[in-house]
Amino acid sequence: MEKPYRLSVFFCTRIVENEAPLLSQAPESVEIRPVPMACSSMVKDLFLLKALEAGADAVSVWVCPEGACRHVQGNLRAKKRVQRVQSLLEDIGLDGRRLTFFNLAPQDRVSISSRLEEIAALLAGIGKNPAGPPRSRDAEPGPATPAGLEPKAPDTHPG
Amino acid sequence: MNTEPISNLHRVLSRGHFAVTAECGPPRGANGEAVREKGALLKGVVDAVNVTDNQTAIVRMSSISACKHLMDLGLEPVMQMVTRDRNRIALQSDILGAYSLGIKNILCLSGDHQRFGSHPEALNVFDIDSMNLLSTVRTMREQGKDLSGHALDGAPKMFIGAAANPFADPFEYRVIRLAKKIDAGADFIQTQCIYNLDRFKAWMDMAAGEGLTEKVHILAGVTPLKSAPMARYMAQNVAGMDIPEPLLRRMAGVPKKKAAQEGIAICLETLQALREIPGVHGVHIMAIEWENQVKTIVERAGLLPRP
Amino acid sequence: MIVGEQKPVQEILQMVAPHRKFLILGCGTCVKTCFAGGEDEVALLASALRLASRKDGRPVEIEELTVERQCEDAFIAEAAEAVSRNEAVLSLACGAGVQAVARRFPRSPVLPGVNTTFLGVLEHQGLFTEECAGCGDCQLAVFGGVCPFSRCAKKLLNGPCGGSQEGKCEVDPDTECAWHLIIERLSALGRLDQLRAYVPPKNWQTSLSGGPRKLIRKDHVI
Repeated sequence: MEKPYRLSVFFCTRIVENEAPLLSQAPESVEIRPVPMACSSMVKDLFLLKALEAGADAVSVWVCPEGACRHVQGNLRAKKRVQRVQSLLEDIGLDGRRLTFFNLAPQDRVSISSRLEEIAALLAGIGKNPAGPPRSRDAEPGPATPAGLEPKAPDTHPG
Repeated sequence: MNTEPISNLHRVLSRGHFAVTAECGPPRGANGEAVREKGALLKGVVDAVNVTDNQTAIVRMSSISACKHLMDLGLEPVMQMVTRDRNRIALQSDILGAYSLGIKNILCLSGDHQRFGSHPEALNVFDIDSMNLLSTVRTMREQGKDLSGHALDGAPKMFIGAAANPFADPFEYRVIRLAKKIDAGADFIQTQCIYNLDRFKAWMDMAAGEGLTEKVHILAGVTPLKSAPMARYMAQNVAGMDIPEPLLRRMAGVPKKKAAQEGIAICLETLQALREIPGVHGVHIMAIEWENQVKTIVERAGLLPRP
Repeated sequence: MIVGEQKPVQEILQMVAPHRKFLILGCGTCVKTCFAGGEDEVALLASALRLASRKDGRPVEIEELTVERQCEDAFIAEAAEAVSRNEAVLSLACGAGVQAVARRFPRSPVLPGVNTTFLGVLEHQGLFTEECAGCGDCQLAVFGGVCPFSRCAKKLLNGPCGGSQEGKCEVDPDTECAWHLIIERLSALGRLDQLRAYVPPKNWQTSLSGGPRKLIRKDHVI
């Protein structure tokens, strides 16, 4: 049976090496679309919006702890972008809380589970993304990250 | 300028008297009576009264018209003119008009930025700066020509003043700027309020070293402090204001009721010290919305009657 | 370069409200460099506007295109087909680009999505500062390479006002006092005496005050 909510999680592979731990801990009400990244700096503002356009009810960006990024400032850049998109969401009247950002320690399974439950609780409160594509009951859920927008290379912007 | 005095202020200064000027801020309205009431408090107490030009960029009655109200009472105004709101055409036109009404002193300023005033969304002009305005008024007076070189039908012969802030940064440049103002046309200088006498003396020494105190009449600015919070506020928020910590503590150290009295006492002490500095030819008392205290100060300083 | 910033989304939403199908046209030169109107910004804005319109239950169709420069007809021409397919154009170019596009397509409403702010410099990543007023009569030689017309809040020509404190402008304590910089620079060059000279009123005829300006290079006109 289709779960009521969809969540796209953009995560740094230093925290979780692959999508398995996310999928195995998914809350009952949430279908997770994991997007692994070699570094969280690869997350672009556009990917976050596109995920919402494609039907995600919430988007979450998981990065390593500050000071621990192997590309030095990757997680800081990700944080700034997320903040910008949060304010953009508020500007267009979508709840900025649909986009969350967490610093997580590598392999911290307990936190993964509690973050996911937190988001599930939030979604239960704020409901579905009112700007998602029209969905029919038996249609296959579309990809949370549209084709061609998967992150490809680490962000090598100079400081 | 050794000929006939241009104005009363000019007469007082050129005869070597210690000059006293005060300030009158026009009302935020069309109430001419408000100007006359402030003027009445200053009559016979000072040699001339500065009339501000939309000071702090707040819309007020025009300086020219408030000057006229004061003249009707028999007071001599110093018309302040800022370059913030008018271009060179309007400025020159108003100088001609002001002189035709009998206004004989002018203080040339750039003006406070409108950012802090009542209309921060206004377009500012700053077509010319205060230095250019000084030069313009002098050219009008001495060559009888406007900025375009056109001969005037009646030259405005005004006694020309400029402002100086001995406390603004960069300190070393302040004297160069004073020299430029004198070269551009300043006959007299009114300074920013002085609380830091040491720094003021250092500035006067530098000015004297350049021979500037021989070329211009310097009127030292004073403002009596009304209360400890006002003193603290000015020290922290007014750009270019230097109030030393011991003075702030002194104001804070007296009971609230006696703070005004203490402020006047400090003002009188400052005034006394200023009179002893060579090159200081007068004092400019800026008692903001406290005009009734000017007479007390001038009287207690032993500066009455006026020459 | 010309610096601009994207208008607030709410203002853009109001402007495009009458249109159900429009083109967001980016410009790949100045406004791309300042993150206001290059193809990345076109994509992001398009996505945000789609989300906003869907949320309100009035979906719009948005086409995205970025040309090299919107202030040059040869590049604008590349947008002709896309313009003809849409009801309106939301241009993310500077004000010059918006007008050049509007001139080329007289039957299409052309709306500005960017506030053009100034001629400036990229001081460091993410910080742009105004450094030129385009007055048409450069006097930087007089002022030690620091322009008081664009960088002093009072356009002072003959030294700092009394409000300068510790090298900062009284209008904004985060802004350098241009006159402080001028003095610093001329001191370092041993040319402080240069500032002793009176600078006469500026001739503003070469600026916008003299009317809209035009540059004709006869050697390039056939």
